[in-house]
Amino acid sequence: MISQEDKRKILKERAKALAEQPEKKQEDEHIEIVEFRLAHEKYGIQSSYVSEIYQLKELTPVPCTPQFVAGIINVRGKILAVIDIKKFFELPGKADLHKIIIIHDNMMEFGILADAVLGTGQISIRDIQPSLPTLTGIHAQYLRGVTKEHLVVLDAKKILCDKKIIVHDEI
Amino acid sequence: MDKKEEDFLKKLLLTFKIEAKEHLSAINEGLINLEKSSPEKETDLIETIFREAHSLKGAARSVNLKEIESLCQSMENIFASLKRKECAASPQLFDVLHRAADCVSKLISGEQEINISERKNINEVINLESVLMGVPIQKQQIEKEPKKKELIQSIPLTETVRISTAKLDSILFQAEEMLSVKLSASQRAAQLQEIGASFAVWKKEWTKIQPDIRVLAGDIQHKQENEKLLAFFNSNHDFIKSLETRLILIAKSAENDNRQFGGMVDNLLEDMKKVLMLPFSSVLGAFPKLARDLSHESGKEVELLIEGEDIEIDRRILDEMKDPLIHLLRNCIDHGIEKPDERRLKKKPPCGTIRFALTSRDGSKIEIVVSDDGAGINASLVKSAAIKRGILSLEEAGKLSEQESFPLIFRSGISTSPIITEISGRGLGLAIVREKVEKLNGIVSFETQADIGTTFRIIVPLTLATFRGLLVQVKDQLFVLPAANVERALRISSGEIRTVENLETISLNGEILSLVRLGNVLELPGKSSLDMITQIVILGSEAKHIAFVVDDILHEQEILVKSMGKLLSRVRNIAGATVFGSGRVVPILNVHDLMKSAVKTAPIKKPAVTETEAKRNTILVVEDSITSRTLLVNILETAGYDVKTTVDGLDAFTALQNQEFDLVVSDVDMPEMNGFELTAKIRADKNLSEMPVVLVTALESREHKERGIKVGANAYIVKSSFDQSNLLEIIRRLI
Repeated sequence: MISQEDKRKILKERAKALAEQPEKKQEDEHIEIVEFRLAHEKYGIQSSYVSEIYQLKELTPVPCTPQFVAGIINVRGKILAVIDIKKFFELPGKADLHKIIIIHDNMMEFGILADAVLGTGQISIRDIQPSLPTLTGIHAQYLRGVTKEHLVVLDAKKILCDKKIIVHDEI
Repeated sequence: MDKKEEDFLKKLLLTFKIEAKEHLSAINEGLINLEKSSPEKETDLIETIFREAHSLKGAARSVNLKEIESLCQSMENIFASLKRKECAASPQLFDVLHRAADCVSKLISGEQEINISERKNINEVINLESVLMGVPIQKQQIEKEPKKKELIQSIPLTETVRISTAKLDSILFQAEEMLSVKLSASQRAAQLQEIGASFAVWKKEWTKIQPDIRVLAGDIQHKQENEKLLAFFNSNHDFIKSLETRLILIAKSAENDNRQFGGMVDNLLEDMKKVLMLPFSSVLGAFPKLARDLSHESGKEVELLIEGEDIEIDRRILDEMKDPLIHLLRNCIDHGIEKPDERRLKKKPPCGTIRFALTSRDGSKIEIVVSDDGAGINASLVKSAAIKRGILSLEEAGKLSEQESFPLIFRSGISTSPIITEISGRGLGLAIVREKVEKLNGIVSFETQADIGTTFRIIVPLTLATFRGLLVQVKDQLFVLPAANVERALRISSGEIRTVENLETISLNGEILSLVRLGNVLELPGKSSLDMITQIVILGSEAKHIAFVVDDILHEQEILVKSMGKLLSRVRNIAGATVFGSGRVVPILNVHDLMKSAVKTAPIKKPAVTETEAKRNTILVVEDSITSRTLLVNILETAGYDVKTTVDGLDAFTALQNQEFDLVVSDVDMPEMNGFELTAKIRADKNLSEMPVVLVTALESREHKERGIKVGANAYIVKSSFDQSNLLEIIRRLI
């Protein structure tokens, strides 16, 4: 039989333990990402930049555009350009395209091609290994890094803001 | 100041700016009208401007912009004394008032640094006002009408609200989207009707099976089982019958809904388009002032007449047309209207007239006619400018008739102006006019007669949203060609194609047209096979015609233009895209680009002269100030020129005798021999007379510019607006 006093003590301790701030977790920030597969590789993109996942029905190619522009689609009457990030990063591999992930910020909006969308998930920023020995130069600047599970995390903000991605071609 | 307050002040200032601009444009308009009005109307006009100045003053006070406030106060005082007929409206007074309005405009637009001369203007206005106040009454003879303050006539004004255009655009966008909803609604209704119709087939089958059922009913051996079966048949029949009745009802109401919905969407779109319509006056309102400023700058007298400015047009078209119209006005004043003495010699009134006349044509288009009664366009000047720019060879120029040479003025880089200055002579204005108008699927043409004048005629559509398009197929892809640019579509047999100097051509009505494959121009992969019969479309833009080979021509239809999103800001040869009722996206071709690309894709006849380009050009810089000299040398050397410097005209002329140069950049004010003298001396020297001379000066004055032309300088740049791209562009143009 526990005495009244002991009871109170135990309860107090429990309450204290529960009330404690999880200090460690604060420095361990998480981001929510949308995971997708493209040419046998897994990619992730921060979900706050993703406005919707669109089923690829028909892609109209646009002549006289750079290789990375896969074409244009009609999303409820609005026309959006779709890019192939494999080509943009100058990576090899052919994609088997089914989905379009539409990403946006205040200034820019376009779709990126994906073979399949795997779902959303939380990853800890600490788990992202920033430097990639194989990816250097141009490619590295659009990546946040790679996780232990070989998930390549894209830097949506940098891709959206990049002037190089805008096609403005006078004759 | 805390952030909230700061934000508020920012917002307030923004609101003030919008309001102030309205008052200011009313003041400007009033001043222009007042200057040419009859005495009867004067009183009303003065009253209007007086009130506008007063309101602006009040607004400025509320946001604590003291300078604007005091300027407005002075203007108000001047108008008050004008009102009381205490002083007369003299041309000088108008000049000062216009300058005052300009100052206010600069202050409003937030140009923090108002330079000294403008300060002087401000003081001038304020001084003038105090002088006026002291000046004895000049127009005493005018009887003092003890006019009571008339009640402002109660004109029923329609109430307005201010809405940002972004919001409106988004509503229009959504309204346009309703079109596809309307389309799918009508498809659904049709599908329901189809299902309803399929019951007829079922009925037939049912009747056919009846004899067998009767046989079944008569079979006594299996009476019990059969009765069960028959009952099931009957209940099935009733069930399907009731389904049919219900379906037909639904199909009917779907059809009703569809009709009603369709009508509503059409009305909504129609109204929405009207919301986006603005009268031309919203752009042309600023033109009288612009005309006044430009003509004063060039020492000419110009009267601007505007007719039909109430006509309304899609705001997006108006935005696009603003620059071309300004270019045309500038063109009329710079190149068309002559100086007063010159006009007197030609027995014309000293004041030139420029007319902007707008008329609507068959309900869907607007015609803009811009005419002047100036000197007309000089065909031989156009030709020689084209020869200078390498667009025409001497031989070709000789063959061209006057009429044939005129379209050249729309080519970029062709100007008949003898000198390049800040605002004109670069030959871009009319090229911009043509490009903008053609982008809007409009056409531009002109007529000119020596000493009678020039008339430009522009026709643009009233709304941007839709146009007629021709659907063509090239290598399994569909494209839309704007019907306005398609001159003919026809089939030719392969025998009709002739090769001239490695280029394919066809001959049509005696004219030889070059023939290009649209697939190649669009850089589509795959080889195009040559069939016995080839489908071609003849496209025309800027008086050029080229035949394009396509795989198939489908049909013509109404096209709703959409942009291709922010990522594809401008794509070569593609103007935009459209969405068909089926949801299919089809790119719209840019004919203007196609014509240019077609020339590029065609095999080049012979390599152009590249040797001279490889040689580095040497430039002589003449400048007495060390700072300016260093700056010039730096700019020119970075741009890849060899540079030699001299400190005055005399020094420069000696250098020119000893070494070969390709161009001279000279300051105007220098000791010993100034820039004008140097230029004159260069022109007089038989070895140097063709040397291009660019004068760079701190003085911006008409007299100087004219002196520059007189001594034979090729360009005249003012240092105040001196940026290097400008200088380099001019140099590239000259050598």
